Amino acid sequence: MGKKDITFNDMAQLNDEPLLSLRVEELMRVPDLGVEPPIQPPPEKWRANYDFSLDGHAAVGVPKPKNEEEKARLVRGFLSGLGKLFDPQNNWTFLKILKLTTDYCMRCQTCSEACHVFEASGQQEIYRPTFRSEILRRLYKRFYTPGGRLLKSFVGANVDLNYKTVIRLLESAYRCNICRRCVQVCPMGIDNALITRELRKLFHQEMGIGPVPVFQKGTRNQLKTGSSTGMIPAGFKETIEFIEDDIGDRTGKKIKIPLDKKGADILLLHNAGEYLSWPENPGAFAVLFDAAGINYTLSSEHIGYDGVNYGLFGDDVEAARIALKHLMVAKQLGVRKVVVGECGHATKCYCVITDRIFPGDLSMSELPRESCLPLFWEIVKSGVVKLDPSRNNFPTTLHDSCNIVRLMGIVKPQRNVTRAISSKFREMTPNGAHNYCCGGGSGFAIMNDFNFAQWRKKVSERVKAKQILEAFKDCLDPGTEKYVIAACSNCKGAMRDIIGHYKLWDKYRITYGGLVELIVNAMVDLPKPFLEMEFIGSE
Amino acid sequence: MGFIVYLAWVSVAVFVFMVAYRALKYASMPLSLRWELYPMPGEPPGGGSYMEEVDYYKKPVHHNRIAGLLEMGAEVFYLKKVKEHNKFGIWPFSMCMHWGIYLLFLWVLLLLVEGIFGLDVILPVTNIIGKIAFVIGAFGSLGLILKRAGVRKLSLYTAPEDYFNLLFLFAIFITGIISWSGDPSFTLSRAYIKEVITLEAAPVPLPNIVIINFILVELFLIYMPFCKLIHWLAKYFTIDKIIWDDAFKVKDSPQDKKVLKQLGYICNWAGPHLVPGKTWLDEAQIVDGGGNN
Repeated sequence: MGKKDITFNDMAQLNDEPLLSLRVEELMRVPDLGVEPPIQPPPEKWRANYDFSLDGHAAVGVPKPKNEEEKARLVRGFLSGLGKLFDPQNNWTFLKILKLTTDYCMRCQTCSEACHVFEASGQQEIYRPTFRSEILRRLYKRFYTPGGRLLKSFVGANVDLNYKTVIRLLESAYRCNICRRCVQVCPMGIDNALITRELRKLFHQEMGIGPVPVFQKGTRNQLKTGSSTGMIPAGFKETIEFIEDDIGDRTGKKIKIPLDKKGADILLLHNAGEYLSWPENPGAFAVLFDAAGINYTLSSEHIGYDGVNYGLFGDDVEAARIALKHLMVAKQLGVRKVVVGECGHATKCYCVITDRIFPGDLSMSELPRESCLPLFWEIVKSGVVKLDPSRNNFPTTLHDSCNIVRLMGIVKPQRNVTRAISSKFREMTPNGAHNYCCGGGSGFAIMNDFNFAQWRKKVSERVKAKQILEAFKDCLDPGTEKYVIAACSNCKGAMRDIIGHYKLWDKYRITYGGLVELIVNAMVDLPKPFLEMEFIGSE
Repeated sequence: MGFIVYLAWVSVAVFVFMVAYRALKYASMPLSLRWELYPMPGEPPGGGSYMEEVDYYKKPVHHNRIAGLLEMGAEVFYLKKVKEHNKFGIWPFSMCMHWGIYLLFLWVLLLLVEGIFGLDVILPVTNIIGKIAFVIGAFGSLGLILKRAGVRKLSLYTAPEDYFNLLFLFAIFITGIISWSGDPSFTLSRAYIKEVITLEAAPVPLPNIVIINFILVELFLIYMPFCKLIHWLAKYFTIDKIIWDDAFKVKDSPQDKKVLKQLGYICNWAGPHLVPGKTWLDEAQIVDGGGNN
């Protein structure tokens, strides 16, 4: 089906044919990308058992209903959850924003071009920021408002609802990174990204349906084992020992990483993905904090060593459970504040979202939470650690995590640090609070079930690939190594995808890493570079 | 005299009551989680919040209300974001329609001021404002109808209700133009307003077009709070109370007490990892996967 023909009721089409079949030629053109792998259709054995009818991809992979009862159950669950989304007791957390957004979007489409997914896809209608929210809006009107029941077609409440609508809407909720760039340009302050999140919430909190890596292997796993990676406390302690050894190898320094130190100033909370995929990142924190004399500790308590909170991506209850555990760990340690490492969603979760989840002693005024970035700038600015920017004598650019810049307004510290330690820094365009998402945000970076990774690499990560190539356009020569700074675990996952899929290391010697590694790489008392300029892909 | 005079008063009463009701309704909704968006008004274009500081919670937070008012003003009076970001070319029409509405209400207000205080000195200004309001309002609303109907990417999202709203506005403006064409100095409009103020019949019979024009304005006042056209009120909440609401919570503050109260709400979601019927606080303390999982 051509992109111009889609209507809302196509979402209810009962056949299995995808509403959209993506083709590389129709995607946004990226200069310097060269020939890229084509988009593969899903294998027949998947298609026989799972629903791919939105766009030929599956983030969740809903099994095809086997009978009428299963189909009816999907519709019943959806309608029940839809009602709860608009109920003050069941959804006090976001009701006000949801209700205003549902009632007052003027459908002027001013937000469309702000969306990197819509743009990267070649402006496919089903990815327009208002498409999925308009369907939710019309279904809500149809089933839950007197106006919708009485004046169905007149108020637009005539969207068909069947099990296919439900499944396609579910998949559609995972075609938006919830970066909220669309909200920034909305003249009304309407939050279509929030509707995406609320849709995810409806499916998971009411029906228990969501991407396995985010919920079953994410929040559920974290609450049961202690970490979304499955790492138990004993495994965490072993990992810390490994990192201490690695620090010794890289720097010649013998550093003991503090664990469970009561009364420390700071509880440092890392994303556990760092320990497994980028252990040099927590290692660099240890080197820098040791050199700067920061009185901090990590926690080896159940959940206390994994700052991840995937509840943020679509389940308020799971978010509250994990956040409560983290805050209680901090309370028990008696730290003065919590500092979140290089992880965008965890930083926003603890500094912004959880601010109003818990009262009393868990309020921000009593147990403050901060990003690590201002602390980095304090350290660099103070001169307590001697740094030489010529040690980072290669082109760098800075990718901003949406959670840090647009959703927290932390823009300057990371730039001040980068300019102080990197002699060939250049900005991406646009940047700061107006940046583009890496394409891995809101859980996408860890979602690799079925063929979702293909969609992510081709569509949601495409604009970032373009930005990276543009930032380095004056030095694309493979004789020059280049470094994309991404002070966020999810973003680093996306960078790994982009560089690997589009072969940016092979072609242009572009690699990526965190900010703290770059700071440590500039420390004058290290005998050799801390950074190893290389690229290790995930494929 | 009669119906058309009473309708005027009823329409104002309904409008005021419904706007107050809507405002109270939104203000009394549960306190939502923080969901702000940067940059805040007055911050540099590239961002720069109070959270950029180490130990920010110990430092005073300054909100720039003037910058906020200016930013809101730029949206209300210039539709700045529509101008800068809308790719469908709706800005000139939307701008004309919005200013048509603003000037229409200003015109009615000035007619009332003239009638109540006998301020004939403002008469020329009133007349000019009325004429501009009708012309640009008609141009803008008709242009938006044609845009929405003619561009498929807009028409897909436009419900009959949206066309009705635009047609309603167009009808007000076009009847205003017709009324003005037969009464270039708005003498008859003034006579109607005088009738509304004094509750005494006008000395001369009013032509139907003048009456229709005012009836449409009054019906619009009654209708507006029940439809999306009251988005100007919603905008205060979406922007000032959500997007710009970045203050962190302090223990024992009114916000803190609200959160405590809301944690006592019953959480009845049916997902297998939840235990329906518990309070939010109880649910948050379950870390082993809940009762069903």
